[in-house]
Amino acid sequence: MMDLFVVFWTFMIFTSIFWYGFLLFYVGFKGGREIKSMTQAFGRRHEEEKR
Amino acid sequence: MHLAVIDWVIIAVYLAGCMAAGIWMRRFVRGVEDFAVAGRAMDLNLGIASLAATELGLVTVMYTAQLGFTKGFAGATIGVLMAAAMYLVGRTGFVIGPLRRAGVMTIPELFEKRFGIKVRWLAGLFIVLGGVLNMGIFLRLGGEFLVAATGMPAHWLEWVMTVLLGMILLYTVLGGMLSVLVTDYLQFIVKGMGIVVTSILVIASLGWDNLVSGLWLCWDGTLAGVGQMLKAHPFNPLHPTNFGWGYLLWQLVFQLAVATTWQTQISRVLSARDETTAKRMYRRAAFYFVGRFGLPGLWGAAALVYFSQHGGLPAALQGLTANEASLRATPAYLGMLLPSGFIGLLLAAALAAEMSTDSGYLLTWATVIYNDLIVPCVKKPLSSAARLLITRSMVLAIGVFLLFYGLWYEMPGNAWDYLAVTGNIYLASVFTLLVAGLYWRRANANGAYAALVLGAVGPITFLVVNLVVVKAKQLGAHPPAVASLAQEWLLRFNHWFPQAKPIDPALAGASSFALAFLGMFAGSALTPGPAEGKIATPQEVA
Repeated sequence: MMDLFVVFWTFMIFTSIFWYGFLLFYVGFKGGREIKSMTQAFGRRHEEEKR
Repeated sequence: MHLAVIDWVIIAVYLAGCMAAGIWMRRFVRGVEDFAVAGRAMDLNLGIASLAATELGLVTVMYTAQLGFTKGFAGATIGVLMAAAMYLVGRTGFVIGPLRRAGVMTIPELFEKRFGIKVRWLAGLFIVLGGVLNMGIFLRLGGEFLVAATGMPAHWLEWVMTVLLGMILLYTVLGGMLSVLVTDYLQFIVKGMGIVVTSILVIASLGWDNLVSGLWLCWDGTLAGVGQMLKAHPFNPLHPTNFGWGYLLWQLVFQLAVATTWQTQISRVLSARDETTAKRMYRRAAFYFVGRFGLPGLWGAAALVYFSQHGGLPAALQGLTANEASLRATPAYLGMLLPSGFIGLLLAAALAAEMSTDSGYLLTWATVIYNDLIVPCVKKPLSSAARLLITRSMVLAIGVFLLFYGLWYEMPGNAWDYLAVTGNIYLASVFTLLVAGLYWRRANANGAYAALVLGAVGPITFLVVNLVVVKAKQLGAHPPAVASLAQEWLLRFNHWFPQAKPIDPALAGASSFALAFLGMFAGSALTPGPAEGKIATPQEVA
């Protein structure tokens, strides 16, 4: 019953679950910091425009 | 409805958080550049979250789960090809590198530099028609997932999706790409949690070995007695009963065109801080696209095995056509499988998928309408406030159009073919214009017109021929007592060509690309280009 295609899909599906789980934390953490710095940069720009 | 209080709480918290974040970003929007491309301030990880969130909608989950139900794990092969195409484009910078360097807001804007303003306008029209008509199916399919997964009354679908679209429109109209990026980020997290938890629960409940052996049994017919015959090899995509070589080769080209041409993906490239960020975003996000097909495909395959081992499809799905039943089997299975709390998470994830895709698409097509269809026709420069107002109005107008065209209006049976065809027209012609415009010095406006026209010929021929062949066969099998003129003509067609078969979609798609490239080559090679210095060269464009 076990053939190379089964091994391939088993690898792909379990790696995908791991990858989604990893990105959840990695992108979750780093993306959050990027939003913070992006909004700060926009905020500074608008302060300068006001002045 | 099988939702507990905890499920409602999860959904309410998610929706409230998303709306608050989306509306809050409004304060940073000062002009169209902020609204359409987030002031080109998007960094790597936010880009990955936004790209992944936008391209994994509820409509994607529905059709990739359907592929798992009808083709087993092999149905996810398209995801592997998509990931390969994304990585290749991210590695080489093919098309996306020069596109980002050009500093444009949309793809057609680049065409003006290279081919002139009329080509920009025409290409913009192709993009908007292809994109908006494709999007027409999103709301209804997404609603069907929610109906099947929650067990809510079917007649609620239109109202639930109308309210959801209203919420999406509110934050997209106010904050544009800035709101879309931040809500995409939240939706990426909620959706990721839902997908991971659901996949683990699916595997834990069925058992991996049982799932694999169940698929083999569905394939060899042992479990066929309960109406669950798997007609395609569940693991080997090259098997004659599955996709086969020809279709997969065509899909590789198609996915390459999507990665370089589909405006919603390109809008993330154009919003990126710089070219390096855009390329890294593509490389890092590439493997996500395997799971985009593989994990809902896993749920679909599990639904097939589960129902096969438990006496067949539930009663509610048994009266449906095979296509409809395969589409709704997965959400019905998940609705039965997931316990309280988890079903709330799955629904929050499903709403996140729908919202992230809809908001990204609404904004993208509205930007093209403003930037490439309206701006070229305006003689006097508009104020910043007027430009912003027009773009916001376009987002709203597309939303209203989708509400009636895609949700409240029942589409005719062949609308699906029509939508696939319009998407193909866009991809074939715009991909050709981009590649030739960026990499072939001799490409000119005449070649661009020829590519746009010929790129449309293949898909339209496919649509017309298939309609005629199918209708002629149906009439031939059951001729009416009194035939109308059109029916007589179809009966004659059936008599003259009794062996006629519908055109293979892969052949139609591949021919549209071949014809578009032929048009570009012939049009540019056989006609003189513009005088030196009148139009930008590929190097000057980027």
